[in-house]
Amino acid sequence: MSVDHEVRRLDRVIIRFAGDSGDGMQLTGDRFTSETASFGNDLSTLPNFPAEIRAPAGTLPGVSSFQLHFADHDILTPGDAPDVLVAMNPAALKANIADVPRGGEIIVNTDEFAKRAMAKVGYATSPLEDGSLDGYRVHPVPLTTLTIEALKEFGLSRKEAERSKNMFALGLLSWMYHRPTEGTEAFLRSKFAKKPQIAEANVAAFRAGWNFGETTEDFAVSYEVAPATRAFPAGTYRNISGNLALSYGLIAAATQAGLPLYLGSYPITPASDILHELSRHKNFGVRTFQAEDEIAGIGAALGAAFGGSLAVTTTSGPGVALKSETIGLAVSLELPLLVVDIQRGGPSTGLPTKTEQADLLQAMYGRNGEAPLPVVAPKTPADCFDAALEAARIALTYRTPVFLLSDGYLANGSEPWRIPETGSLPDLTTAFATGPNHTLADGTEVFWPYKRDPETLARPWAVPGTPGLEHRIGGIEKQDGTGNISYDPANHDLMVRTRQAKIDGITVPDLEVDDPDGADTLVLGWGSTYGPITAAVRRVRREGGHIAQAHLRHLNPFPKNLGEVLARYGKVVVPEMNLGQLATLVRAQYLVDARSHTQVNGMPFKAEQLAAALKEAIDE
Amino acid sequence: MAYVIAQPCVDIKDKACLDECPVDCIYEGPRKMYIQPDECVDCGACEPVCPVEAVFYEDDLPEAFSEYRVADREVFDGLGLPGGSRDHAPLAADHAVVDAVPVPSRT
Amino acid sequence: MSESLLNLVPKAEAVQTMKDFKSDQEVRWCPGCGDYAVLAAVQGFMPELGLAKENIVFVSGIGCSSRFPYYMNTYGMHSIHGRAPAIATGLATSRRDLSVWVVTGDGDALSIGGNHLIHALRRNVNLKILLFNNRIYGLTKGQYSPTSEVGKITKSTPMGSLDAPFNPVSLAIGAEATFVARTVDSDRKHLTEVLRRAAEHDGTALVEIYQNCNIFNDGAFEALKDKDQAKEAVIRLEHGQPIRFGAKNDKGVVRDPATGDLQVVTVTPDNEDRILVHDAHTPSPTTAFALSRLADPDTLHHTPIGVFRSVERPVYDTLMADQLDHAVEQHGKSDLTALLTGNDTWSVAG
Repeated sequence: MSVDHEVRRLDRVIIRFAGDSGDGMQLTGDRFTSETASFGNDLSTLPNFPAEIRAPAGTLPGVSSFQLHFADHDILTPGDAPDVLVAMNPAALKANIADVPRGGEIIVNTDEFAKRAMAKVGYATSPLEDGSLDGYRVHPVPLTTLTIEALKEFGLSRKEAERSKNMFALGLLSWMYHRPTEGTEAFLRSKFAKKPQIAEANVAAFRAGWNFGETTEDFAVSYEVAPATRAFPAGTYRNISGNLALSYGLIAAATQAGLPLYLGSYPITPASDILHELSRHKNFGVRTFQAEDEIAGIGAALGAAFGGSLAVTTTSGPGVALKSETIGLAVSLELPLLVVDIQRGGPSTGLPTKTEQADLLQAMYGRNGEAPLPVVAPKTPADCFDAALEAARIALTYRTPVFLLSDGYLANGSEPWRIPETGSLPDLTTAFATGPNHTLADGTEVFWPYKRDPETLARPWAVPGTPGLEHRIGGIEKQDGTGNISYDPANHDLMVRTRQAKIDGITVPDLEVDDPDGADTLVLGWGSTYGPITAAVRRVRREGGHIAQAHLRHLNPFPKNLGEVLARYGKVVVPEMNLGQLATLVRAQYLVDARSHTQVNGMPFKAEQLAAALKEAIDE
Repeated sequence: MAYVIAQPCVDIKDKACLDECPVDCIYEGPRKMYIQPDECVDCGACEPVCPVEAVFYEDDLPEAFSEYRVADREVFDGLGLPGGSRDHAPLAADHAVVDAVPVPSRT
Repeated sequence: MSESLLNLVPKAEAVQTMKDFKSDQEVRWCPGCGDYAVLAAVQGFMPELGLAKENIVFVSGIGCSSRFPYYMNTYGMHSIHGRAPAIATGLATSRRDLSVWVVTGDGDALSIGGNHLIHALRRNVNLKILLFNNRIYGLTKGQYSPTSEVGKITKSTPMGSLDAPFNPVSLAIGAEATFVARTVDSDRKHLTEVLRRAAEHDGTALVEIYQNCNIFNDGAFEALKDKDQAKEAVIRLEHGQPIRFGAKNDKGVVRDPATGDLQVVTVTPDNEDRILVHDAHTPSPTTAFALSRLADPDTLHHTPIGVFRSVERPVYDTLMADQLDHAVEQHGKSDLTALLTGNDTWSVAG
């Protein structure tokens, strides 16, 4: 039996899948994202999951969700509010309903709305029956029963069969939005290659969900969102998350530098994916070392840097705190080293799975003594690739540790990425020292490990195994040039100022300003707020507001023209997911009355709220 | 490199150095103490304790005492590395340089 | 037996002397410090190894002994407190053509850096760790250390220290070390022989060196150095030899059949055949551990020196390198374009 369906065209949709931690919502979201990417929509995702691996089933803290925004035009954020909510249980409904605007669609798994499950999250009466969802378009679907029914021929236990209900839901949504299905079926068969029965059961559940949509009158309407062909420059695309892009960026940087990649790391959310990913690419000569702690992770990386590797350590805020002393040593040794901080909510353990930008000042100043180092921040998930290459360029050129500040939102979020031609990647070739670089008064040719390149102020990188360049370096203050231990006050003053001058002198591109209307207000952001700020700026302009936008990739040193840019505007607004750390830096360095707009709820800014804040600033 | 015991020690042999030496490389001769140059580890413990300032770092040996550099080395010819003075009998004879120092007349 | 990992390190082209390994830096330990003796022994031993000195690296932490790298005319890094094993691990695992040595002290290795030490040992990274144990904090001017005897009166413990000391050899054996030895700073011959054995070992070699701090803990090891006392106090371990000692060689080590523990006995014709024969190569660490417990931590009487344990186990660096080779065999040589492209793409026409 087939039902006549109306097909409506939409320019964009926001879907949120929500369920228990064990319901497979992240996988469901990932698959829908892949289908959407391969269909050619622009997209942006926001996975949101609890820190607990399995919080008690059916409770509010155990709710895991995945939001996906896709469109026929270019979009910048995972969306403020879902048009469609898939709620796999009462907890998922309760935790997410407030975000769904009236009139939104809600697909609920009615099987889970038993009295006890509802009581667990504080529903005295069933929200499906008490009228509290009257303002929404609710599709009650017995997802569990239907899944078990669809799989009865597989001879699985009830419990095993139930597990495929997320695939049923995915099938239903795939039907609703005309998503291609081949990719998911191939994915399931490959994921469960060793358990063909489970693979086929999942495929069957997925198809059953699709057929359910096709044959049920409740779903009278399906939707089409055309590919975003005009939003994208020509090229080959894939969907990519921030942590994956960052991992690829590191491998690409090592390839472009002609150096082996060495990662010393200790598992920490949300950075561990990079350790996992790099561990899979040993055929690129990538060495990954899971250390006994954060300190050993960076220690091993620094040792490898001394030996001539492109060395990296990956972590999140608490790990940075532990690595601080070794970062200071790297500053003193002036060796290239990438310190990747995937920021999360802090202080202390904070919110491990939520996003925040509150490590900026830690990256800038979180060490003893004057220990300056460059800071680079990617702005979108795909941009993590380019940012990693840029961080490597600075580290190798200037022989310095470099902070790469990503965050939980970029790490787990994903978007389409135009795959670069490898021939177009920057040349990062780095020359090791091979011979003496200094002539003593008596004519003797010697090697001075701290004799600097006059332009970059970088010191030579002489790796063990090079005859004649044997030298000793350490964390004690060194004499300018020779690198020998020196406690001389004037020399220390010189060395402190020289290390600072080296970082200050790093060449970074000028800041670009988007200001079509000659605005008086500038919004200045950094890192992962790029998407929400840009979306907010578009809203403001659509409504006739005038606002200029600039986004910093280099936090240290700042672009040379930043001061001049700031001086052009009457008002400068700095939105950050912290309590105003960039604003503090800008105010201190440029004496600008920058005003902070901050949010620290573990989630990215919502474009609508941010637009309202910008309008308020403009109108003030 | 090594420390060297020079002329001021001759006929004095205070032996304060002996107690300080961590590797027992100072050996007793009939008229002077001798530092085995290959056993000496250059730690310098002997130098400040000498009451007659007879101990010098090889490079800092005064010109007048330069032949003691040779004396402290040659006196061990044929003995190799004795392996520490704790278990070693005093040397049977002094080096010729020491022999040549006049015995102070008793008054 | 597999080929020695030393063969991966380039050899010196010319004959070397001790002088080749002395750097131009003035040695600045206190006069009389045991560190001088160790430095001289290491500098004297290096030419025997015959390795290109540019392929030798000394990595240290913080403490008096950690100044060591500055005085070696090799590559070197004086790092931060306790972290030398971690830094050396990164270097050794990324550069198998280097001979990597760690110089550390009792505070550096066993207090602030204890975690790194035990993990280097269990991984069996190809490092030679020289642990200078003077049972005191010297550089910070005389606080008790994790190897100080209980009740130690120091600046930080005017009424005596409260905590039980570590026995570094016991600790290392417990941490799955494949090579553990102990020697004494002033015994150049013994020290050199232990260095030789450590250098030949594939994997982590831990050498505890009893080292006198003549400023803050003078005479800590006098029982082992004094001509008369030493014969009764020191047990010299030699692989394949019965464990006997004493001025008249009349003491021996036997296993107590009731407890399995080791004990010192006076050798008699009745018990002579029960004297334990030292086997450093036995896979089980049990007897080596028991030997490490013989010494009295206060008096140091019955202190074994020499190689407690020297066994073969796969070396971390080798395993890591093998995985890289294996990955190339499995997945082919690196192809950046293929990696970036992945399996799931779409095209947008211009």
